[in-house]
Amino acid sequence: MTRYLMTRLFYFFLALLVLSVVTFALNWLFPGDPLTNMSGIREGQTAYEAALTSRSFDSTIIQQYLNYLEHIVRLDWGLSLSTGTGVWQDAATYLVVSAELLLLSFLVAVVVGMPLGMLAANYFRHNIDKFILTSAMTGYSIPVFWLAQLLILLFAVQIEWLPITGQINPLYAIDSVTGSVIIDILLSDSQYKLAALQDATLHLILPVLTLSSLPSMLLLRITRNQTIEVLQKPYVKAARARGLSQQRLLFRHALPNVLQDVLPQMTFIFGLMMANLVIVEHIFNWPGAGAWLLKAIIERDYPIIQMVLFTLMALILVLNLLVEVYRGWRFPMTREERYGGY
Amino acid sequence: MSKQSILVTAFTGFFLLSCSEQTDVPEPLQNGLIYCSEGNPESFNPQRVTSGTTVDATASQLYDRLIDYDAEQQAFVSALATDWQALDNGQRYRFKLRRGVTFHSTDYFTPTRTFNADDVVFSFRRWLDTEAPYHSVGGGFYPFFAATGLDQLISDVEKVDTYTVDIVLTHPDSSFLANLATDFAIILSKEYADQLTANDQQALIDKQPIGTGPFKFVAFKKDYHIRYQRHENYWRQGPEIERLVFSITPNANKRMLKLVTGECDVIPYPLVSELKSLNREEIEVRSEVSPNVSFWAFNTQRPPFDDPQVRQALSYAINRKAIIDTIYYGNAELAESILPPTSWASTDAELEYQYNPEKARKMLREAGIQPGFKMDIWAIPVQRVYNPNARRMAELMQSDLAEVGVDVRIISYEWNTFRRRLSRSEHDSVLIGWYADNADPDNFFRPLLSCAAVASGSNRANWCHTGFDQILYQAISTTDNAERKQLYHAAQQLLMQQQPLLPIAHSMRYQAQREYVKGVELPPYGGISFRLAGKEQPAQ
Repeated sequence: MTRYLMTRLFYFFLALLVLSVVTFALNWLFPGDPLTNMSGIREGQTAYEAALTSRSFDSTIIQQYLNYLEHIVRLDWGLSLSTGTGVWQDAATYLVVSAELLLLSFLVAVVVGMPLGMLAANYFRHNIDKFILTSAMTGYSIPVFWLAQLLILLFAVQIEWLPITGQINPLYAIDSVTGSVIIDILLSDSQYKLAALQDATLHLILPVLTLSSLPSMLLLRITRNQTIEVLQKPYVKAARARGLSQQRLLFRHALPNVLQDVLPQMTFIFGLMMANLVIVEHIFNWPGAGAWLLKAIIERDYPIIQMVLFTLMALILVLNLLVEVYRGWRFPMTREERYGGY
Repeated sequence: MSKQSILVTAFTGFFLLSCSEQTDVPEPLQNGLIYCSEGNPESFNPQRVTSGTTVDATASQLYDRLIDYDAEQQAFVSALATDWQALDNGQRYRFKLRRGVTFHSTDYFTPTRTFNADDVVFSFRRWLDTEAPYHSVGGGFYPFFAATGLDQLISDVEKVDTYTVDIVLTHPDSSFLANLATDFAIILSKEYADQLTANDQQALIDKQPIGTGPFKFVAFKKDYHIRYQRHENYWRQGPEIERLVFSITPNANKRMLKLVTGECDVIPYPLVSELKSLNREEIEVRSEVSPNVSFWAFNTQRPPFDDPQVRQALSYAINRKAIIDTIYYGNAELAESILPPTSWASTDAELEYQYNPEKARKMLREAGIQPGFKMDIWAIPVQRVYNPNARRMAELMQSDLAEVGVDVRIISYEWNTFRRRLSRSEHDSVLIGWYADNADPDNFFRPLLSCAAVASGSNRANWCHTGFDQILYQAISTTDNAERKQLYHAAQQLLMQQQPLLPIAHSMRYQAQREYVKGVELPPYGGISFRLAGKEQPAQ
């Protein structure tokens, strides 16, 4: 296990390093002054001269890169070119906003996708299976931006149930402290916490529904296929022959084995969600990192672009690492599968 | 099977629960109003910027002026000054100030005294006196005052006693009071400035503003919202609503959608035709004749646009009639001059440059412009009263100009960047416009086309013509309207010859709102005001 852990960690840091080389190179690939792209300090500002030395721009490129790494480790991503405030200082709330949306959507995807997948597998080739699979294929084929428009048209314009923009009605005057609207409401000293919570929940429904549609359908299909496969294994047949109930068979014997193969797909699904996050946040005016990234791209705010790109990608890497480590610990077979031996 | 039905039940239950509660509107929503504005304000001090977005978000909400202009009575009315008189043949104006006017009390500032002459002197010196301690805070740039020449006109602001202030002019000027009644001549708190100086936080004066206006500032989250709270001790009738939110929504379609879903109570620059086609009775569209003009300004300091013949030729190439129909859906009038026909100084003369591609092509060749000539048109990225869709307008012009062999590239940046680069004169030509801050015709000339306005950056054509400046100067030195009318006619004649810009349209101003909103009026001059805003409570 130790060796497995070490190799995983090694690859993780290697990937991070490569990622940092890419973002570092971006400073030169973006138009304009590399130092400005990196630090957000424009030529002619008083701080520019100081930045030249503090960012090792008077030294070799290797030095500059090491210096850049050091700044990243200290979370110093420079200043925003459009507002002049520290990038990381703004980033914290944006990232939490996105994290809340992502986690909730992911939760919904798991809660909807996996049980439905197992249900379909259980009724393999029955009408229920066909029905679930057809709806899944339909849901899977609708692009996110289109689905969002349809949901808005139905739930907000036609039947006026749900709001379409932001985390909460701004009249509730909930200050964004952490970024997560639910935590913010609980922390606030508003007299209308309950009403605010309800309002925030209503605001959450459409974005979460939109963002979770694709991953839930993916999970459904993966779970279904894996379950079908597992249910045909001899040990399941043996268990069934010994008179175990279908329920017990499904949850106690099949599920753990299904999970083993579904888990690695989760990071892939998470990556997909990140891409959709940008679209969903933009459509629903969600004050998160995705919308922030899009805005930064439009405004050519290079320090922000770098920071968000790096952080989102690093997040996927971390998740990947966690899943692999968990898998390696929980299902020792997978260690052997990759590297042979323990 | 059971699992599925549980899920379905859970979902439906959740939806039902969330709707059933809506009949009982929570208090913050009852007493609050959401205005979906079209962009971020650049500052919270309208002294420093002229953009309509900033003026909307600040001037009438946070601040008051010495005097106001009442468009209905066509007269100046008292505001923070109760009374004023001209002395010394119009070279000195004496203002009596209102007593007992309170400044905002917020978590960052608690006033200990009410409004007095020190605040007036401080507020005027801020932009007037380059030596004043706060002059350079935020860049030391006051475009409105520079463009109208008010900073040259006023030689001093003197405190006579605690409630009397004298403003001394270098020469009599008939547009002086009109300029004082604009959204830009606001009153700041000197006490707050002193507190900031003591804490060495001068820059906060325009970020966490303090004024005497009907609302006080609470919070601003860039790209998302600005929050205001009612000023409880406002000196005149204030709003019924307690909270005001500017929800920043640059996309016009989304603004309309949010109005439909009830997430906005009032929106500016609605897509009028589309909104009307929705035919919803809970939405009201209001319109007002607005003194504005949209125009295409050439950067006359850049060759070949320094040649009047090139500018004239390009003007002939544009089919303005088609623009009115396509961009404004006919809700605008073809502009014959930059001065709207509603102004008392307007002429009946038709603009020389009616659509004539043949002539345009010929004149361009004469001026030495070869087919394939490349130029930029900068199109403002936001909707304005005078131009609901500059980008689309630029596209129409692009095809018009392609007809005469001019290759156009359309340029558009985010609004703040756009303005910054525009004031650095990086453009060949720009589609922009102007709406009047006051009723005086001078407001259409000096801020837009005087030499002083070149320096202040509001002369988008960078056009400086001494003869033209002379006429404008003569026109403001007299109070005789007949004489002034003559002079403005001469000025418009000269403009038509020189053609530093092509006037395109005078547009109606629109606003859409939910029917229960009341008291949100569209003033013909200046920004939106929520001073009397209220809501009719829906019948329970």
